[in-house]
Amino acid sequence: MRSFRFALRDTVRLIRQSPGVSGLTFLTVLVVFFFVGSSFLLALNTRHVISVVEGELVIQAYLQPKGNLDEVRKKAANIPHVTGVRPISSEQALELLKARLGNQSAAVTLLGENPLPASVEVRVDKASSVAGVARELVSMPQVEDVVYAGKVAEKLARLSRFAEVFSLFLLAFAGLAGALVLYNTIRVAIYSRKQEIEVMLLVGALPGFVALPFVFLGVFWGFTGTVAASLVLGILYKSFVVSVQNTLPFIQLLDNPDLFLKLGIVLVGSGIALSWLCSWFAVERHIAEAMKPS
Amino acid sequence: MEIRMAGVTKTFGEDITALEDVFLNVPKGDFVYLVGPTGSGKTTLLRILNRELLPTRGQALVGEYNLRKLRRTRVCHYRRAVGMVFQDYRLLEDRSALENVAFVLEAVGASRKEAIDRAGEVLDCVGMWRRRFLFPRELSGGEQQRVSIARSIANDPLLLLCDEPTGNLDPQTAGEIMQLLLSINASGTTLLMATHNRYLVDAYRQRVVELKMGRIVRDQERGRYEIDEEL
Repeated sequence: MRSFRFALRDTVRLIRQSPGVSGLTFLTVLVVFFFVGSSFLLALNTRHVISVVEGELVIQAYLQPKGNLDEVRKKAANIPHVTGVRPISSEQALELLKARLGNQSAAVTLLGENPLPASVEVRVDKASSVAGVARELVSMPQVEDVVYAGKVAEKLARLSRFAEVFSLFLLAFAGLAGALVLYNTIRVAIYSRKQEIEVMLLVGALPGFVALPFVFLGVFWGFTGTVAASLVLGILYKSFVVSVQNTLPFIQLLDNPDLFLKLGIVLVGSGIALSWLCSWFAVERHIAEAMKPS
Repeated sequence: MEIRMAGVTKTFGEDITALEDVFLNVPKGDFVYLVGPTGSGKTTLLRILNRELLPTRGQALVGEYNLRKLRRTRVCHYRRAVGMVFQDYRLLEDRSALENVAFVLEAVGASRKEAIDRAGEVLDCVGMWRRRFLFPRELSGGEQQRVSIARSIANDPLLLLCDEPTGNLDPQTAGEIMQLLLSINASGTTLLMATHNRYLVDAYRQRVVELKMGRIVRDQERGRYEIDEEL
């Protein structure tokens, strides 16, 4: 507890006595985590836009003339990856056709008996599931034919896989770059306190005792930098969403207060964890060097 | 703490031999002056004993500690038992004299109040009580040396290593510091003091170990700064 109190007091002293280094480190953390957060939002929005398009993909399964629409609907709903099933009876299909023909709907009467089959309209969770679900549907004895946009689904599935890999890569790159920048910034800050660390070790201070104020310092920078980064990111993203909604209304960007809160928590949490790790490694390395007798 | 050095050699690179085949036994509670010209190996010997340097060859044992085999986790425990007065003071520039002494005590587990009280006591012993709130840059060389001495004795060390502790002090203050070191030694602390101060060595006669070119050339009980012609 005494060590903890000493470390806290020493951390405040370190911050107050080197405002230049503290300010620079704070700015570095802010910029680094602003880009990490931006990468995160870019990845989330890419996934969101693709999933919106994927949600529009529909598989139309036409039934045999004597097929039971309700039975097929239940079976289709039980297929994995299916998110929604809409049954359309032959009467509803005719009504839909009439509606589509508009002024020329009278032409439908020329057909005599309703020739349109009943069908189910199936929606799936992602483009890559379309082919599998279509195969399941066509294997049902009551289903006569299945129609879906195979090429589009394939392209969309490829795009979705690419977006997934790209998001992961972007996040990993941003995280790694952030960690490296943070580690080196904290190392520079520790280097400016080299003499102090050496003297503390020479008089018998435990390595943990020497390291603690620097670790607290790193965590302080991590916390304040990521809080500021979250606020700046939130404000800028909100105004970006508003301007996109005004100029390109067909693009649906994520705009959810809950998302901002979660993103803020993730950024601050990862900022604290990362700065704790970086400062611990940096100071531990310095202590190991200082304690190594020549 | 007893010191036993057997065949200690320390080289830097291939050309520089700072210590060569040094055998030295210092019983617990002894007071030893290390004398010799600049570059004779006095500071190297003290730095080996403070475990800043490792001997290239030979054994250095201090109390229960074998300095060659000391693990990193044990180094700080060892250093708590050893006080060191550095030739270049090594005070922290951004802390007052009082804080420079108190932080050593806090570093080894004392509470803030205990540390401040004890730091005040030892600064009083070295005559720095009135200037305890000044920073190193505001102190003269001699005053910084006294703070450095106060820091080294604050922890009641079992072994005190002093590298030119009176180098920057006037004769009167040097005498006072010497009295202080003798009283610390009288309480059982083993004391090794590297010095060029002929007056002190001759006035306060103790064991003298003389080094030349890294070798011990004289080890004399109650010796003088230079070879006693009477012996």
